[in-house]
Amino acid sequence: MVVCCGAGGVGKTTVSAGVGLGLARGGARVVVVTIDPAKRLATALGMEGLADEARPVPGSGGPGGGELWALQLDPKATFDRLVDREAPTPEARERILENRIYRHLSGAVAAQDYMAIERLHELVDEGRWDVIVLDTPPSQNALDFLDSPARITRFIEGRSLRLLLRPPVPGAGFGRRVIAVGSSTVFGLLERLTGAQLLRDLSDFLGAFDGMYDGFAARAKAINALLRSDEAGFVVVAAPDTDAVGQAVALGRRLAHDGYPLSGLVLNRVHLLPPGGLARPEELAPALATAGAARPDSLAGRAAATLEEEQLLGLRDLDAREALSGALDGAPITEVPALEREPVELEVLAEIAAALGAPAPARPAAAGP
Amino acid sequence: MSSGNGATPDLTGPPLSQRRLCFVLGKGGVGKSTVAAAMGLAAARAGRRSLVIEVGGQDRLSRLFRGAHVGHEEATELAPGLFGISVDVEQAIEEYLTGQLRLRPLVELLTRSRAFHTFAEAAPGLPELVTVGKVWTYAVALHEDRRPVWDALVVDCPATGHGIALLETAGNVEAIAGGGPIRDQAARIHDVVVHPAATGVAIVARPEELAVSEAIEATAALRERGMPVAAAVLNGMRAERFRDDEAPALAAVAAAADGPSSRAAEAALRRLDDQRSDQAYRRRLAEGTRLPVLELPQLVRRRFDLDAVRVLAASLTDAVSPNGRP
Repeated sequence: MVVCCGAGGVGKTTVSAGVGLGLARGGARVVVVTIDPAKRLATALGMEGLADEARPVPGSGGPGGGELWALQLDPKATFDRLVDREAPTPEARERILENRIYRHLSGAVAAQDYMAIERLHELVDEGRWDVIVLDTPPSQNALDFLDSPARITRFIEGRSLRLLLRPPVPGAGFGRRVIAVGSSTVFGLLERLTGAQLLRDLSDFLGAFDGMYDGFAARAKAINALLRSDEAGFVVVAAPDTDAVGQAVALGRRLAHDGYPLSGLVLNRVHLLPPGGLARPEELAPALATAGAARPDSLAGRAAATLEEEQLLGLRDLDAREALSGALDGAPITEVPALEREPVELEVLAEIAAALGAPAPARPAAAGP
Repeated sequence: MSSGNGATPDLTGPPLSQRRLCFVLGKGGVGKSTVAAAMGLAAARAGRRSLVIEVGGQDRLSRLFRGAHVGHEEATELAPGLFGISVDVEQAIEEYLTGQLRLRPLVELLTRSRAFHTFAEAAPGLPELVTVGKVWTYAVALHEDRRPVWDALVVDCPATGHGIALLETAGNVEAIAGGGPIRDQAARIHDVVVHPAATGVAIVARPEELAVSEAIEATAALRERGMPVAAAVLNGMRAERFRDDEAPALAAVAAAADGPSSRAAEAALRRLDDQRSDQAYRRRLAEGTRLPVLELPQLVRRRFDLDAVRVLAASLTDAVSPNGRP
């Protein structure tokens, strides 16, 4: 399992697809999972309309049965399937699917993180993949999705919320009555804010999940253990500007701190420093004049300035590499050069796969440090 | 203002620069924060008291305006007439409750209860609602003499999907909350967010395939939701530096013996290619969004800093008012 994470806009989706393609061409059966609402992976893989079910990417095969498949996460469909599987009775299932809170929650952007993890779990269970590559959801905090199983489990457990939504029990012991009084006050306050309807829906929602909590908790725990095992490898993707490098460093540290295996860093879209020095317009101008340029002096000045810009970009990207390796030493850094063409077709992705050192290990663990 | 070649902007309402509240949206990495800061600075330089609002604790403003500390409590002055503030969700929830319940002890009772935190953490859309609610309070804030506190407000939104969620949340809550103060409040917020004259959404893109596709999709999604999309901003455009008829001489020099001169000529030819492709993306963006496209030049520097924001603010001013009028 390879998890690609990083700040928005660094090319995570493209790198995920490149990693997947490299592994597939090396002989592995690979599925790439993206959660992006903008359907970027579909574009990058040269196929439109990715679905929640994995589909083969045409032309991605390698020797020895290697194949690349891709799927786009549909959080709502995943959530519905989850309810289907876990609901103890058909009635409970219907109650959940019909609930207004559920309908909003399951389609919300906030549910993406959790459903990515859930989908990962389903794919592991399918057992037909050598490697699963996960392109993490674009969230405010790149690691939100790691905490999401715990968050959703807490919400569904909602012990204190249930207590509060239950009417006070007459004849209960003193301690119990105190809690009931306290919570009915909180209940009253919430009701003043939300109106009674919203709280009733919420109460129904939690009621409908009764008996499903253990299943949720067990899955959250299993996936968390898997992500921390040597079956998994995290790849932090960065782009060579100050902001993205800073975020990649923070991400790398947090992963190490929390015990997730960091396979390496990818510095994407690197501009190589052009060899040699700056051009001298006074040398360039006569050459351009001989070649028939109309305004050789002006053209020479503009061309020399353009070469200087390329050098500036090259230097900026060297700075980025230094900052990255200085802050996270030990983690291997792979550079992917800025491509002339954008990676919107398979063959350009192959260039990225090659830059990533595509020779594919059959097992994801081999991608580790 | 430059519009698309042949594409007629499909715009109701005034141009972006005349709307008070601007939401800046776009794919991650296209430079939303920089564009938001530049818009705020351009408005401030035109004499409007401006506030740039950061959401989601990105802290980019503090980094752009070195030395400034942009906090949650009070607006920090970043440049003459330009202020910045960052919205903190937890704090916004408390403030919201204080506003609704009026009594401080009640708020404390609620915020100390575990049940409430469970509710607040997972309640669909609550973080988005209080965030956009906070933006709304700045937008409607008035001085004692009824003048608005802010002449221009620019919101640096999260990346596309989350940004759209932020804009539509008040409308959603209005729809599901049934009744009660939350619903009424959401309705008031939603009215401001979708106001076709006071509010404008700016979609930022870079002249690149994926960013432009996402901008076009986002524009369609926002229009479908009734949001007042007002302009597309194409950030990082490589302006025309070489003409097509200069290519033959450059190619001849590039083909000569390797040296700094031939490499400069090669660089110039690459730049000519890039210019053409940037222009093609500009046309696609204009045609795909049917929006006026504001162009911001690519700035090549080793560090991106305040000076870069100034340059961009100046080009925004030029883009919206070719005759130099604010």
